[in-house]
Formats: sequence, C-alpha cells, structure tokens
Amino acid sequence: MALLEASHLTKTYKDISVVNDVSFSLEHGKCVALLGPNGSGKTTTLRMLAGFIKPTDGNISFNEDRLSKDFRNYVGYLPQFPVFHNWMSGKEFLIYAGQLAHLSKTEAIKRADELLDLVNLKEVRKLRISKYSGGMKQRLGIAQALIHAPKLIILDEPASALDPIGRREVLNLMRELKKDATILFSTHILNDAEEVSDEILLLNEGKIIEQGSMHELESVQSTVTIKLSFTDEPKFIEDRLKEIESVFKVTRENNDYFLTVHDLQIARKQLLEVVHRENWQLTRFEVAKTSLEDLFMKAVKK
Amino acid sequence: MQWYVIFKKEILENWRNMKWIWVPIVFILFAVMDPITTYYLPKIMDAVGGIPEGAVVDIPMPNANEAILMSFNELGLLGVLITVVIAMGVISGEMKSGVYELILSKPVKYTNYVSAKFMSLALIVFLSIFLAVVAGWYYVSLLFGSIDFTKILTSILFFSLYFALIIGIVIMVNTWVQSPGVVAFLSLIIIIALNVLTSIYGHIFTWSPALIGDYIGEYLHSGVLSTEIWYSALMAVIFTFACIQFAILTLKNRALQ
Repeated sequence: MALLEASHLTKTYKDISVVNDVSFSLEHGKCVALLGPNGSGKTTTLRMLAGFIKPTDGNISFNEDRLSKDFRNYVGYLPQFPVFHNWMSGKEFLIYAGQLAHLSKTEAIKRADELLDLVNLKEVRKLRISKYSGGMKQRLGIAQALIHAPKLIILDEPASALDPIGRREVLNLMRELKKDATILFSTHILNDAEEVSDEILLLNEGKIIEQGSMHELESVQSTVTIKLSFTDEPKFIEDRLKEIESVFKVTRENNDYFLTVHDLQIARKQLLEVVHRENWQLTRFEVAKTSLEDLFMKAVKK
Repeated sequence: MQWYVIFKKEILENWRNMKWIWVPIVFILFAVMDPITTYYLPKIMDAVGGIPEGAVVDIPMPNANEAILMSFNELGLLGVLITVVIAMGVISGEMKSGVYELILSKPVKYTNYVSAKFMSLALIVFLSIFLAVVAGWYYVSLLFGSIDFTKILTSILFFSLYFALIIGIVIMVNTWVQSPGVVAFLSLIIIIALNVLTSIYGHIFTWSPALIGDYIGEYLHSGVLSTEIWYSALMAVIFTFACIQFAILTLKNRALQ
C-alpha cells in the first residue's frame, strides 16, 4: 500500500501551468528523487505535498490516516532556503518547532537533543542561529523537518547549495533517514539522486516524463560513455579505438576522447587490453556520462 | 497549547529585541513631555528672554484634568505611530524573510498564529500605555493638582481599546503585502482616514472608536461615563475582532490559492 498518492496534480498561475497533470505514488520506506532542470515545477510540486499551496486540480491522499485533513501532521518539510528565527539558538528553534507540531515540552526537548546529535550540531546547540554557517543551517533545517517524526520527509534541494563536505554529510544523513521514513527530495544534481534514491521522478515543464526505480531506468538505458585522457597523444589512437568492437562511437573534445559503448563490462576489458598492448600513457579512465545524465539530457531535450 | 507556544515565543522575541524596554520608555516620555513643558513654559520663556520689554505674556495654566488630557492626546498621536512601527513586520516580516514557510510547514492553525501575535503586541502596548499615563498622572498631581486615580484607570481601559483597534488594523494589513514599510504606510492611511471621517461626520458616527480620546476628555471633566463612550468602546472591540478575522481568512486563502 502506498503511503501517498498524488493524482492529476495541476497548478496554474494566471493561465500558466507550472505543474501539469502529475500523478505518482510513494511507497513506504522508499527514497524518491524528483529530478528536473530549473523551473520544471519541482518546488511547486513539493509545496503542494507539504500542504502550503492547494493544487488547482487533482488531489493528494495519505493512506496512513484519513482522520485529519491537515497532512502537515505527517510531513516534515525542508524548503530550498530555510530561514529561521535568527535570534533563537538551534536548540530553542527545534523545541519551538516541535511544540508547534503538538509535542509536549518534555517530548520536544528530548527529540531536539536526539536530532542535534543526529545532524551533528550538538556543540553549537546554544549558539544563536545567526552565527551558523550555511551547512549548519541546512542540517538544522533537516532536524526541524524531522522533529515530529513525520511519515514523509520532503526535502527541497537539500544538498545543492552546499560545499562538497556539507553535501557528503547531508547525503549520509539521508541514507540514515531512509531506514525508517519515506523521503521525497528534489535535486538537479544527478549524482545525488543516483547515490541515495531508490526511485526517480523526472520532471520537465511541469510534466513527469520518466519514472521508475533506478534499476529499471538503468536497464532501459543502453549506452554508457567513457572518457579517456593521455599524457601525450598516441599515434593512430582514433583508429585504434574505433577498431575495438564494443565501441561504436568515438568523439574528441580538447585532449579527451569520449567513447560510446553498449556494455561497460566488455568495453572496459577490451579497452584496457588495447591500452596495455599499445603501451599508451593513460592518465584518466572515467565513466563520464552516467546513464542517468544521458537519460536526463535526452528527456529534457525532447 | 499551540497558541501559548506562539505567544511565549513572541514575548521572548520582544524581550530579546528590547521592545519590552524601549516601547514603555518612549510612551512614558510622550506622556510626561506636554504637562511638564506646559508647566515650566513661563519660566523657560523668562530664562530664554527675547520678549520685548513691557510685553505681558499671560499663558493660562491648565487645570489637572486638562493637563492629563495632554498626555492622552500625545499618546493618541505619537503612541499610535510607535504602535504601527512595532507591529508593521509582525507577519509580513516573517513572510519576507521566509521563516513563515518553516513555521507554517508545521500543523499551525492560522487562528493561533494571528491571535497570539495580536495578544503579544497588545500586552506590550497596554503595559506601555498604563505606565505612561500613570507617569503622566504623577507629574500632573505634583504640578497641577490631584486627580482621582480610579478616573485615570477607567480612562486607560477605554484608551487601550482604541490601541487594540490600531494593532488589529496593522495586523490585517500585514497579511496583504510582504513589505513592513508598505504595511506601515497603508495602516497609517487607514487610521488617518478613520480619524478624518470621524471628525467630518462626528455628529453621525458618535460611536466611532476614533472619538474615544474625546470622550475620555469629557469623562475626566465631568466624571460621568457617557453612553457614547460605551458605544465607541464596543465598536472598537468589534472592529478589532473583524480585522483579526479578516487577517486569518486572508492567510488561509493565500495558502489555498
């Protein structure tokens, strides 16, 4: 049984439809990535699910509990740019958020302590939020979204604005959260989606153009691109590369070669044999374009 | 419960940004300024000089009732201005900064959100009015003569209702636009319009809340509460309630857009 079902969600602002007939369902315990270029309607979709804005058409139903219409009770939401009461300390804000979600004061304090531990903000819990760095604020934002132990956690671009370390921390945290909650997060960073999500919803111009589990999407995708760099240009390299049977396209950009292959396993084996035989000074071997990126580009360019 | 959480947060916020200190002080200054300067005006003019030889300056000394009414009038102008200033960002500021989005992602009832903000503001303003008028009364008693304190207390109660309406208006405007400056501007326009309409059609709108100040003057003079003051107080309460309801509805509708 799905935790949430969204059917035919549509949102129009003055005749311009930002989200157009979007339907999907979220299964319990899954981590779903909402992918799409900027302006594709990701944030609007998430805001509808978080109960901020009402869809122009279509509806959202939580199967968990039909008693309360206010589904903010089951949803934890992290906006793209979380803003807090900067005059509060991190812990104060969490307690405040918890109490707003109908926790008692003692429950809220206990929960705040647990979460400060989880998001690694214990040391700065008594500091005013105005003194927090961007990464700290993002983690505090995640903590406040979790304060009332929501069934569904909605994260709007949780890692996009962070440095590599902050991003890593957030992704690890999400992996941790996946164990006991359902997560829906939006991103335009494909690596993030690939790394933590079980399922993908690909959105473009307000419509879902592709959806499915990571495995399904990968198997649909038939080609992989490999990037090669060398210290000095070997002779006849392009011809030699083209001779490899599993490679069916070779392109050159600056000093890098991009090979399009069908089967990564076979291609890698054959390619490295050639490199070895010809004694090429290979400095870089990289699976450059992931299948997801390919899929994304194709789908969006359509 | 949730109402109290928001209310407490507002009280704490106003404590941390010093509103609990500066608002009462400013109100007290407004209230004592006029009676004191009026009392010392002849002496000040003597000391400053510049009056031609032989000119007789005869400024009639007001009595105690008139003197304390100066305090009320001063608060009715400058106190209203300060009230608009402290209330102008109470919701619009949170919307503008974006913290509104985090707060409202929790199951917060709009009724609680708006009314807790109203009460926290009313608490500061009422306390400031009380302290200010009592301070004014103290100086008036020293300089002009005694006034019965129960009369002062009754006047403060009626006067506070006018301020409740001011806060209600500003909170209502808060839900229309997201810029605190524009909120202040629009609120002042509404308040001025209310006062101008009342002064033009005062004989028809005898129940207008903007007349509460005038009725307090009459009451201080006569010692009798007129029927009109009760009506205008009632209207102030009704209008305030309507403003708050309207604010709640506006926020709800915005969420449901």
